[in-house]
Amino acid sequence: MKRLAPIIVLAILVPALTSIVLAQQPSQATLRTATGDRPVTTVQMSGQTYFSAGDVLTALGGTIAPDSTGFRVTLNNTVAAFGPDSRFGVVRDDLIEMPAPPVIVDGKPYVPWQFFHGFLKRAIDNEAAWDPAARVLAIHSAQHNVVSVQASVTNVQDISKVVLTLSGPAEYGIIRQPGAYTISFRTPIHAPFAEQAVEDPYVQKLAFAGNELRIQLSAPDVVGDAYKLENPFRIVLDFRKGSTTAPGAAPPSISRPVDQPGIRTIVIDPGHGGKEVGAIGPAGMMEKDATLAVCRKLAVSLGAKLGARVVLTRDEDAVVSLDQRTAIANQYKADLFLSVHMNAAVVKGAHGSETYFLSLDASDELAKKAAEAENAVSAAAQPTTSSDLKLILWDLAQQEYLNESSKFASAIQEEMNRATGVQNRGVKQAPFKVLVGATMPAALVEVAFITNPEEEAKLKKDDFQNMVVEAITRAVQRYKTDYETRIGVAQPPPAAPPAPATATAAARTGT
Amino acid sequence: MRRIAVLTLALLALAGACRKQPPLTSNLAVENKVSVRQVRLYYQGPEMLLAAETRNVSLPENPAGALAVVMRELLKGSANTTVARSFPADTVLRGAYLLPDGTVFVDLGGPTLTQGWGTGSHEELMAVYSVVWTVTTNFAQARQVRLLVNGEPAETLAGHIALDRSLRPAEWVVDPRRR
Repeated sequence: MKRLAPIIVLAILVPALTSIVLAQQPSQATLRTATGDRPVTTVQMSGQTYFSAGDVLTALGGTIAPDSTGFRVTLNNTVAAFGPDSRFGVVRDDLIEMPAPPVIVDGKPYVPWQFFHGFLKRAIDNEAAWDPAARVLAIHSAQHNVVSVQASVTNVQDISKVVLTLSGPAEYGIIRQPGAYTISFRTPIHAPFAEQAVEDPYVQKLAFAGNELRIQLSAPDVVGDAYKLENPFRIVLDFRKGSTTAPGAAPPSISRPVDQPGIRTIVIDPGHGGKEVGAIGPAGMMEKDATLAVCRKLAVSLGAKLGARVVLTRDEDAVVSLDQRTAIANQYKADLFLSVHMNAAVVKGAHGSETYFLSLDASDELAKKAAEAENAVSAAAQPTTSSDLKLILWDLAQQEYLNESSKFASAIQEEMNRATGVQNRGVKQAPFKVLVGATMPAALVEVAFITNPEEEAKLKKDDFQNMVVEAITRAVQRYKTDYETRIGVAQPPPAAPPAPATATAAARTGT
Repeated sequence: MRRIAVLTLALLALAGACRKQPPLTSNLAVENKVSVRQVRLYYQGPEMLLAAETRNVSLPENPAGALAVVMRELLKGSANTTVARSFPADTVLRGAYLLPDGTVFVDLGGPTLTQGWGTGSHEELMAVYSVVWTVTTNFAQARQVRLLVNGEPAETLAGHIALDRSLRPAEWVVDPRRR
């Protein structure tokens, strides 16, 4: 017993002491804001300093409330959520990464300072920084980096495209007035010039002043659509002749204009390209090559048999981003968009063709975006609108065309089944990135399984490629006839076939 | 006398240890509790649709810990060696997080996903939705899944399926007889 006693004592003492060490009492640090210093409660655990979310939010005029699985904080109408099980908070659709999950002490939430950095940037354009030596958590206005801007104007197929290439992401708004568009940057910019006249049918002059760019248009009835592209960050404005709108009227919708009803312009998208090779067949055939071979023939066929203007998103072995492919279709005001791919499966013997159109399942984010879009549209009676609205609409653009996209996809699948004899894998819906922003009926066809040796061999042959091209051409013709009959448009017989264009080639030859 | 002193010290220590301490964190309170649960993991079946495979797994009661365990089980592949992997073999789980609104973030990495996965729509769909179905089936709080690659929002895994949004389980990708 004598020998056991010290062991028993140690067994009791160690957990007791450990609990005392771990449960460090909250201490104080300084919260430094524009209105002065005040104390903020902190706790230290495993080398990580946590700050009382309530102290900081209250000091800044925000609120914090528990919910079922964590906490919600609100400041300046911006809501963020975090919980003790995740080192990510969420604000709007973005993540706030923290080095460790928040902790709850005495029922109150404590977070690493990085949470405030992420949240305050979005809520009030402030930044947070922690100085552990001085024990000061400083909240201050965001230090924006100056972003340099390059501007170009080109006219392609009667659309004047103003491209602003930025050295980094920037926040901006677009003010539309008859005869001029003004881009107001909320991020400091370095302008390439003060003023530059432009020889262009629709754009007369670009003028930088401070953080604004004024685009002077040639006439009040010139209208534009704006969108944003990434890598590099670009703001693109497409100007064209539109119907005259009264000053103060709602800006034009990004929906396709109906001044030329019917299927007149078709954009064909050969999947992948460049270093993005796609799937590879057992004999080495690359998806990017198979799609380009089929699409080149398809462009000629559609032009010849339908008299349509056909645009390829790429006519060479080059990387084209997914957003850019859809943007090309929108830029050309295409009436149909078809992305062509070859499928892949690890299941042996997988074969057949399948056609997809976009699924927009009602995720929380999408529902929220839809609500935001509705609110923004209702507010758009004012002449000022935000580019954010365009981006929201971009995300929802395909929604109003889903019924037509379904019909288009069905026509393609039926003709593929009839012509090629490959197994019918049907029409399906999935959230394909390349279809998301298309403002016209859009589909994606998986011609065959390139991973199947037999189908790979077929894909290399002209006969099979021609069969596929004829099937898709018939499908487009069927859809065109059906659609134009439904909308009551009589089409003249096909004119002499125009040569198919490519977005890249058209841009090079643009006036 | 010595025995009494030791006993007194032990009683004092016991009293100290038994004094109720405020919980430090909710996750620390439960993270060491483990129980065996039957989970449903989704892999591509011979019909080229996802099919559930049940497996008994020791899971932490903490949902964050359990999420990571279930995801790692999924990435191990099917117990049936004839069933192909949904993801490249070098795919790793970097983290899995359940947010208060029911969104689960699954952070994947590995050389193939990092350098660009060259595969077709079907394989990419099967991979993406194997995660979505596995997570939302096994965790009642999980309503939708967002995939990250190397801790960053990714456009797609292989050039097809949009990952810039949360995904909910699509019905058609699962074999109705093996749900």
